[in-house]
Amino acid sequence: MSNFIRNLRELNVAVMHPRDKNAEELIRQIHRIGCGHEAIWPIPSKMPKNVDVLFVDVDETNPKQIKPLLNKMKGDPPAIIAIIDYENPSVLEGLFDIGAHAVLTKPLRATGVMSAILMARRIWSENKTLRKDLDKARARVDNIQKLNDAKFILMRHRGINDKDAYAIIRKQAMAKRTTTLEIAHSIINADGILSDLGNE
Amino acid sequence: MTASNTWRVGILFSTSGVTSIIEKSQLNGTLLAIDEINSAGGVQGKMIEPVIYDPGSVVKQYGELAETLIVEDKVNVIFGCYMSSSRKEVLPVVERRNALFFYPTLYEGFEYSPNVMYGGATPNQNSVPLAKYLMETHGNRIYFVGSDYIYPRESNRVMRNVIRQGGGEVLGEEYVPLNAGIPKFKSIVEDILRKKPDAIFSTVVGQGCINFYTAYYKAGGRGLDCPIASLTANEAEIAEIGAAAAVGHITAAPYFRSINSDANRKFLTRYEKKFGTTLDVTSCCEAAYSQMHMFASALQDCGGMDTDAMRDALLGMNFQAPQGEIKIDPDNNHTHLQSRIAIVNQEGEFTIRSKVRHMIKPDPYLVYPQINDWSLQLQKVIGG
Repeated sequence: MSNFIRNLRELNVAVMHPRDKNAEELIRQIHRIGCGHEAIWPIPSKMPKNVDVLFVDVDETNPKQIKPLLNKMKGDPPAIIAIIDYENPSVLEGLFDIGAHAVLTKPLRATGVMSAILMARRIWSENKTLRKDLDKARARVDNIQKLNDAKFILMRHRGINDKDAYAIIRKQAMAKRTTTLEIAHSIINADGILSDLGNE
Repeated sequence: MTASNTWRVGILFSTSGVTSIIEKSQLNGTLLAIDEINSAGGVQGKMIEPVIYDPGSVVKQYGELAETLIVEDKVNVIFGCYMSSSRKEVLPVVERRNALFFYPTLYEGFEYSPNVMYGGATPNQNSVPLAKYLMETHGNRIYFVGSDYIYPRESNRVMRNVIRQGGGEVLGEEYVPLNAGIPKFKSIVEDILRKKPDAIFSTVVGQGCINFYTAYYKAGGRGLDCPIASLTANEAEIAEIGAAAAVGHITAAPYFRSINSDANRKFLTRYEKKFGTTLDVTSCCEAAYSQMHMFASALQDCGGMDTDAMRDALLGMNFQAPQGEIKIDPDNNHTHLQSRIAIVNQEGEFTIRSKVRHMIKPDPYLVYPQINDWSLQLQKVIGG
């Protein structure tokens, strides 16, 4: 069984919604499912800590308040489930603004709450993994680019081939107990300074 | 509501088709309770009048007849259903019409509707105690056989988790159609006899249950060597299977006919007086009986069948049932129940072997039950 389902009861769920029948129904269902829960209203100036999943009431104007609240959170923002009353384009645009992972429509009922929590959590987690992988891949491409630049500089100056250029960088890195990337940086910087000197 | 001289309630139990044995017993439990209420003067001076339809064990019929009961018969409260699939048909109807629906059957959990009162056990109340008992008494190599619908599959998921926590092993998992006859079980029974599990966990329901136990016996399987353990095999079905084929098999349920208590003896005496026999008294029958009494008690409080007022009156209500004390959970509409394990003896009657000390709180949304939950500690029962 998926860990998302198995570990459901370990989640802390916050409900940011006016205190009405909908909110009450939702909080009771979260309680039945067995997650930790807290109710928040009005929209605060700061998000509470340790919220894994946030149910938030979204209308045509409040994404302006919700978005900065989430942006200024330290660490990961929670998985977000928007609760909407109207399914019109202005409200739906708001869902994209706040980065909702799932949606429930009013009037709220018990059925669907558990699926929404699970889907939001899964998409949130997948996004997080993908973002991490993307950052890593980007950094790697960047590094390879830098290393290539440094090699070209060496090849140009010394009249050597690609393989030898890389051997020099590697040897330097080992001698100075640093990374090939650092050495590549130094070479690129030095080259920049030297060519600037030549232009004066 | 039309002004009338009776309290009309709808009843949807099948008296024909594959699940009719058990649903008839639920109908009888319901009718006995109505008799008791009416002969004690009714509710606020008015009698309860049942409007009864037979859905014929056809899933779609339950939803359509629920609609008929509400629209044409103008009832606002319905009692009924055995299989989850039939409950799922009634659910949207009672929600849309804001009617109240009493469901006196064990099921797989993961549901809540403000319009439903759930009177049967959820897996934390029966599966976990049964798994524990099997592993402590017989061993941890278990074979699963079930009818092919949602309840057996979800029950097996729970059972598998608990058995694995106990270091056990699932030797096979087979599903058969609801109307499976004896020949259908031939290859499964052969596989069981070849693999020699410590026990078999069966979620085969209705007529299929009788056919499975019979097929197992005919092929040489004996309950005293390798028992079939079930959450649904009840007195009515054991009576059909016969003592010789049923002896040694195990059932976990909140209620057994053989409970040795005053409340149960009185219940059985009245049942026999009305129906001439107690052979078909089952845990689902007892649940149906208790739910009708709790409904009447709420109606007495409210003086009318307004769904919201009735719900408020029912939530948190206690009742001294034939099984012992029960209570409707105010958070999830399910029922706190007793939990017992019983074995079929030579006479074909259940002998209760163990039970939990207090009624167990229903936890319909429990994904991953813990085998070591202290509240499920079983105690031995001596002398039934």
